[in-house]
Amino acid sequence: MTRAVSTVTIESAIAGTFRRVLELDDLDERTDFFAAGGDSLLATRVLSAIAREYDVELTFDEFVVDPTPSGLAALIEVAP
Amino acid sequence: MTVVVVGAGLSGLVAATRLADAGFDVMVMEARNRVGGRTHGIEVAPERWVDAGAAYLGERHTGLVDLLAELGLKTTPTDMDGASRFLLGGDGDQTRDGRFPPLNAVALGEMFDLLDELTRQVDPAAPWLTPDAERLDRLTAAEWAAEHLTHPDARLFFPLFLGEMMAAAPADVSMLHVAFYLRSGGGISYLNAFAGGAQESRVAGGAHQICEQLAADLVARQPGSVRLGEPVVAIEDTGAGVLVRTSYETSSIATGSYDAAAVIIAVPPPLADRIEITPRPAPRATAATGRGSAVKLHLVYPEPLWRDAGLSGWSVNAGGPLLSTVDDSPAEGGAGVLTGFVTGREARAYGALSYDEQRAAAVDQASRVFPELPAPLDFHLTDWVNQDYSRGCYAALFGPGDWLALGPTLATPAGPSGRIHWAGTETSLEFFGLMEGAIRSGQRAADEVTEQHH
Repeated sequence: MTRAVSTVTIESAIAGTFRRVLELDDLDERTDFFAAGGDSLLATRVLSAIAREYDVELTFDEFVVDPTPSGLAALIEVAP
Repeated sequence: MTVVVVGAGLSGLVAATRLADAGFDVMVMEARNRVGGRTHGIEVAPERWVDAGAAYLGERHTGLVDLLAELGLKTTPTDMDGASRFLLGGDGDQTRDGRFPPLNAVALGEMFDLLDELTRQVDPAAPWLTPDAERLDRLTAAEWAAEHLTHPDARLFFPLFLGEMMAAAPADVSMLHVAFYLRSGGGISYLNAFAGGAQESRVAGGAHQICEQLAADLVARQPGSVRLGEPVVAIEDTGAGVLVRTSYETSSIATGSYDAAAVIIAVPPPLADRIEITPRPAPRATAATGRGSAVKLHLVYPEPLWRDAGLSGWSVNAGGPLLSTVDDSPAEGGAGVLTGFVTGREARAYGALSYDEQRAAAVDQASRVFPELPAPLDFHLTDWVNQDYSRGCYAALFGPGDWLALGPTLATPAGPSGRIHWAGTETSLEFFGLMEGAIRSGQRAADEVTEQHH
């Protein structure tokens, strides 16, 4: 239960990061970063924000597997 | 009423056309034996052209988009299908999908965060008034990188990024200029992107057609209005008008003399400063102003053979001369063209080699980056750094202190009666260094003249 709540929190924080780097308000935890106009350069800025916030360094290849706030939150959850 | 325009590049011809539309007589003086300035076409196969100079555009380049429509020219999307090849050393030697280099993404993200933050700080209407401009303009990009970029991958990528974005070595430009350039071009993301960005498309058949058509139209309306091989050597503002003196190629003394109501100087800043202008206006360049450092190469194949191997033709390389390559094959077929960019410090070192050495180095590197390709059928080299009538490309590089010194008078008419006007992409705060900046500057200069003499 606690875990589910924290995943939701992370998802919503990452959605906030998406909004900031994409300069786009209309997105949610299932929004695909690239479909919403993101590119690889902007993706690195999401990854640097995740590293700052959660001390988790994801790679670009990990990012593209499920490039949504919920996909990234799941990766952060399982990161060592 | 006659207006003289110095330089038959994009900005000069746009200005001259607009003035002709407004009812002025125009005389465009061009030093070279061709029009186009930093746009130039190379015919790589019968009726198949590639851009030796400026090439790309995006939808935000509204002046260029409109001009192409007026001239009936079409665009071709820049295709990026297939895998990219990276030779960045160690784990950085990879073939992979997309344009993202096999480098530490978090480290690059931190670098782009810092650049984005600086870019947003810039005052786009007056970069010299940016908060902290004094410090940022004294700091070179190399000094900034040494202070702020700690990860080796960021330190490796930063010069490649600056080379690609603005044909600059980090030591040659001030950090204010970097931040301004990125801001002016629409931000790091827009300026960097192909699809959806500033490299979204090319002019089908070559960007050189723009100036060729503008010049042909002008000459048809006003015979003799575009004069080739006639550099302007001196301009005098007499208070009642301007006197423009030219020389012919064979002579270094002034041999031609033209009276005009006003003059638009539409050449790069270092060239503008070589014209003897009386009375002397504020300088257009300083000792710190550098030449845009780009050599563009074209390797010609029978067809885009790399596509058969699932490759896009895009490569990024830590070693020179070819720091990056891109597929510029004509959309109509008939040739495969890999364009190679030699930029920054590599461009200057490369420019010092003999032609045979240049060709051997490029062909050899292409065979290492793309071992699946045969030797190219043909090779073309355009060294913009050492062309006397460009002195660099994409644009002049503003070095330490240049924005503070030159910025405030960049586009201010000179002379006692303000009859000397400035155009050229370096005088445009919007899309500086791009074709779009050139067009907007030409429109602005023409409007100044029209306003003054209506």
